[in-house]
Order: sequence, then C-alpha cells, then structure tokens
Amino acid sequence: MNNTAVDQLQERLRLLQERFFERARGDVETLSGFARLIDQQQLPKVELEKCYQLLHRMAGSAGTFGLPELGQAARAIEKQMKAQLESATDSGADGLVSVSVAVADELRQLATLLENAPEMATSACAQAEADSHDGAHGMQVNVMALGHNLDYLADLVKSLAVYGFVCESGSVDCPNDIAVRLRERSSASILLCEDSGLGDVMGFREQYLPKAEHRRFPVVCVGHENSFETLYRVAEQGATAYFCEPLDMPELAERIESLVLERGSRPQGRVLIVDDDLELGEHYCLVLKQAGIIARLVSDPAELMSELSAFEPDLVLMDVQLRDYSGVTLARLIRYEPRWLGLPIVYLSSEDNPENQLDALSKGADEFLVKPVTDDYLVRSVRIRCYRARQLSDLMNRDSLTGLLKHSLIKQEVDRELARCRRAGHTSCVVMLDLDHFKRVNDTWGHGQGDIVIRTLANLLRNRLRESDVIGRYGGEEFLLILPDCEPVVAVKLIEAIGKSFAELVFWAGDDSFQVTLSAGVALINDFPVSDQAIEAADQALYQRKRDGRNGVTLYHPSLRGIKV
Amino acid sequence: MISVTDVTLNKVLYVEDDPDIRAIAELALQDVGGFNAALCSSGQQALQVAPEFEPDLILLDVMMPEMDGPETMRRLKSLDATRSTPVIFMTARIQNSEIEEYLALGAIGVIPKPFDPMTLADEIRTLVAAL
Repeated sequence: MNNTAVDQLQERLRLLQERFFERARGDVETLSGFARLIDQQQLPKVELEKCYQLLHRMAGSAGTFGLPELGQAARAIEKQMKAQLESATDSGADGLVSVSVAVADELRQLATLLENAPEMATSACAQAEADSHDGAHGMQVNVMALGHNLDYLADLVKSLAVYGFVCESGSVDCPNDIAVRLRERSSASILLCEDSGLGDVMGFREQYLPKAEHRRFPVVCVGHENSFETLYRVAEQGATAYFCEPLDMPELAERIESLVLERGSRPQGRVLIVDDDLELGEHYCLVLKQAGIIARLVSDPAELMSELSAFEPDLVLMDVQLRDYSGVTLARLIRYEPRWLGLPIVYLSSEDNPENQLDALSKGADEFLVKPVTDDYLVRSVRIRCYRARQLSDLMNRDSLTGLLKHSLIKQEVDRELARCRRAGHTSCVVMLDLDHFKRVNDTWGHGQGDIVIRTLANLLRNRLRESDVIGRYGGEEFLLILPDCEPVVAVKLIEAIGKSFAELVFWAGDDSFQVTLSAGVALINDFPVSDQAIEAADQALYQRKRDGRNGVTLYHPSLRGIKV
Repeated sequence: MISVTDVTLNKVLYVEDDPDIRAIAELALQDVGGFNAALCSSGQQALQVAPEFEPDLILLDVMMPEMDGPETMRRLKSLDATRSTPVIFMTARIQNSEIEEYLALGAIGVIPKPFDPMTLADEIRTLVAAL
C-alpha cells in the first residue's frame, strides 16, 4: 500500500475504534447496573447470563479495537462468572443467584479501565498507559494467597475480602496456572503466604514471574512465631512484611493497601508542551506518548491558559524562544494564576550560558533542559520530574493519615463538579459521611485504634468507589465524597452498601473486639446554586440521620433545611 | 479428504453477528489483507450468500444467536458450493478441549478473539499454508 492508502486505512481504523469505544461505554454502564444488583444480592439468574454474555463479547472484541486491558479484565470476570453460572443451577425459588461482591467491584473497575484508555492513537501507546493507575482509588487491590494449606489460606482470604480486596487463593503446586492468573492482572498483586511455604512462594516468583516485575508482586508472610530467629529467617528469604498469629486484620489490610499504593506510584504523568515549532513539538509529544506519558502540544501561546485549565498537566515543557513570544514571560504569566503556583515548568532551550539560565529561572521556571535533547533523555527527565511533582503535590494536598484530599481541596472539587454538572448536564451527588460514636472509640480503645478505624474506612472507600469519584477527609471523623454522574437513589444505595460492609468489620484491641458503624447524608449538587450549600445540605441530611438512630443514609430534602443550627 | 494446497486464496466469507467486528474484519480482510471479502451477520445469511459467492475460505464466529458457528459449518458443508471449502473458527474462548472439538468437526484451525486487524490476514494465510 502507498502512504495515502495507509493513512486512509489508519483513519478508518480510528473511526471504528471510536465507535467501539462509545459502545463499550454503554456496555460498561450496563455492567455497573449488574454490579449494583450483585451488591444488593438481587441478581436473577437470567441477568447473570446476560452479564456473562456481554463480558464474553467484550473479552473477544476489545483487544481488536486497541483496548487489550479492557478485554483481559472482562475475560477474568467472565471466567469467575462462568463458575458461578454453572454452580447456580439450583438457585432459590425467586431465581436469584448470589455472586461475590468482589465480582461487582471488578465489574465497576471496567469503567476505570475504559476511561483511562488513551485516545487510541497507536496501540503501542495503549499498552503503555492503561496499566498505570494501581493504588489510585477506584483501583482494585489484588491479593493472591499461595501455599500448601489451602483451607487455612481460604479462611484468611475470606477475612481479607471484607476490606474490599480482590482475593484469590491457589496452590504453589500448580505454578503455571497461578502465573497465568497473576499475569492477567495489570496492577500490583500482593502474594500472601504462610512462613512454612515462604521458600516455595519465593521460588515460584523467581521462576515464573519476570524479574523486572517482581516489584509488582510483594510477598507478605504470616506465621505463628514472633521470635527474632523467625523474623530474621523470613526477612532473609525476602518477604516484604511479616504478621504473626493471631492476626490483626485491620493492620494487615492497612499494610497491603500501603504496599500497593507504594508499588503503584509509578511515574506517569501529564505534560503540556509549549512550542511554536509544530514539527518539533509534535515529535516531543509522540516520544512522550510512546513512553506512556500523556502529552499535549500547544503551538499557539494565546491558547496556553485555557489549555492549562482543560488539560491540568503535572508539568509544562516550555520552549524559551518562541517566534513572537518569550517563554520566560509566559512562565511568569502562568504564575499569575494561584492554581498554577506549584506547577513545575521546565525550559527547553539551547541556552547553555549558566548566567542567562539563572536569570530565566528567577523569572518563574524550575529547570532547564538544554537542546538538543535525545528522545531517551527527554523521556527520563520528564518522568522523574513528573514523579517528584506528584509526590510533592500529594504531600501538600493529601491528609497524612488517610492519603485522602484535605478539607480545602475537597471543597474546591465540589465547586468544580458543580460547574461540570452545569456544563455537561449530568447529575452528581455530594455525600457527608461520619463515624458513629467515634469519641467513644477513642476514649475506650485509645487514639491509635481510632486512627486505624479512620484509615480502614478510607481504604474501604478507595476500594469501593469509582476512579472518577472524589474522596476527602473533611474533619476528624468526617469524610466528604463527590459522586459525579450519579443519581441520588443510586448514591444512597451505594453508600448504604459501603456502610453495611464497614459495620461488619471487626477491630481488635488486644483480646477485645469492637465494631463501628457510620452515618451519611446525601445531597444532589445540581439542586444548589453554590457548592457550599450542597455541602451544607448533605451535612443537614447527615444530622437528620444521626437523630434517626445513626447507622444509615439519609437523602437531603428541602424540609430538612435549617434543621441543624 | 480434500486437498487445498493449491487453493488460491482470494474470496473470504466471514460470518459474525457483531456489527463492529464485521466492520473491522472488512478492513482487516480487504484493505490490509487484499482479499475479496463477503461479510454475513448470521448463519442463515451465509447459507444464502455462499452458493453465489463461492468462497475460498470461510471464517465463522462460534457464538452466534440462533445458528451458532458449528451448526453453520455443518449446513455449509451440505451445500455443493461450500462442501469442501476450508473453515476457520473465530472464538473468544480458547481452551484446548474446544480447539480439539472444532478441529474434530472439520475446521482447519481456530483463531482466538480478540484478533489484531493488522495481522488477521497473515494468520489466515499461515493456517491455510499449513494444510
């Protein structure tokens, strides 16, 4: 084929991919509907069958349209569902079948995978991007329990599943099967084992998982002895963490969560390139995209500010000498906007005089990349800077106990969501969530236990909500959630389900155990002219719920106005 | 047993119920692969089209409503025009037992879904060349 024909073909492929993408959106929405039915244990067998068929079709087609991760994820759920379908022949008289809630979570994950799919320019870039969001909330944390004593592991896995992890167990005697199951997952997976089986599990990882990916599979070991010798032996074999029976489940869950967050903080970022040399700019863009970095080019500086707001980059790469404009002045202009005070700006320049560089730096840029830069150097330096920028902004914006957004930022987010609702016309909810009798927890069991309870709830929220949902720690034991594109009734059901799971969790303090419930108020953001009023309404609904006996969810109604003085 | 070693591979019939897959298969077979392709949305339609089109090769999706892939093949084999036309199954479920089953039914091969539109034609040619 000649070049024109190739271009035409690419264009047609792209159109087909777009069409498929739209359809997949609809399919994923249908699947979330099934997920909700599963949450409520209201799934009839016929629906399970439909769900299975939809997944099967997705598994067989997504890869063809440049969405291999989506296809693989659908395949993984399809397999689990097939087993359920076969064992569900003699369901109850109501025709309902019981499906693990973990499956519902995986179904919801598909939406995340789809939305995180790149703009399908090339399939290579599709590969690089989609596997990068482990640990971000809405992403599943996977646990694979491995060993010989399968009964013990199955029990262990069962008590971990209530924390919202996707858990599996398997025998190290079938290494091929386990390796396949692990490779189907794109994010980090915790390998969990007993100390008696640690050697075999480490051997399995060594032999069956690619060395470069070992970081993705940290090994957490549980055992029955807490002696120095045992701990040393476990550490020597290479386990990342050790827990001794009787297990402190919240602490174990907490560690698993943080291991995944840590493993997931891979440097992938969003880069805005400002360069009026279209060809060079596009080249940089392409090079970064191929490395899995999301890049966008601005060739007309007049569009810079609007592009910044729309794209929200982690980093700006700025050419110092543009035709009619100076990059140094543009950098200063960016800083006029308080929002961009912390945004790293890196100059691309042929300026190698340190004096002149320093002058430019004093005017608002952070660093220099001296042209000509090799592709490899560009990618590596951009990666490192994006990673640092993310770390820094996390430190500034996130609550240290829970890793959730801080008070001031979550309020800003409500503002932005209200604006989005007006623009796009969708319905979004804000939720105020509070632990019941939390003071009693702190007074009875100590602040250390209180912190564990708060962190556990934060982790559960991260696991159960979608990537597009926003979670913030509003006050001591108060959380504020934003659920974009979500009807109030759905929001209430969802939070009720989360509240139910949370209430089932058992916290241990020595030999004593306790449980904690939560209350929540939900308000429809669209109903209010300003975001503060929406938050206030959710708070009033929460107050009403507290008066009505706590442990549940109340939807705001205008009759509640002014209830809390 | 038929010999297809000297088959000229030009006309390919693809039966698939999913319209999006048909569209991309058309690209993969015609534009990328250079075949003369006919696309059918069901087994019934394939039975009508096949006698006139006289395909050199038939690609069948396994899971289709009403008439599934194996059934479609059985009926195509009873038509004069397609009695000895080689058949390849396209399936999203790849288990060895299933591959064996399809081969036992008389298919010359199985191509796993999802397929890559850029290499589908090559895969087909490889399977046919191996005959």
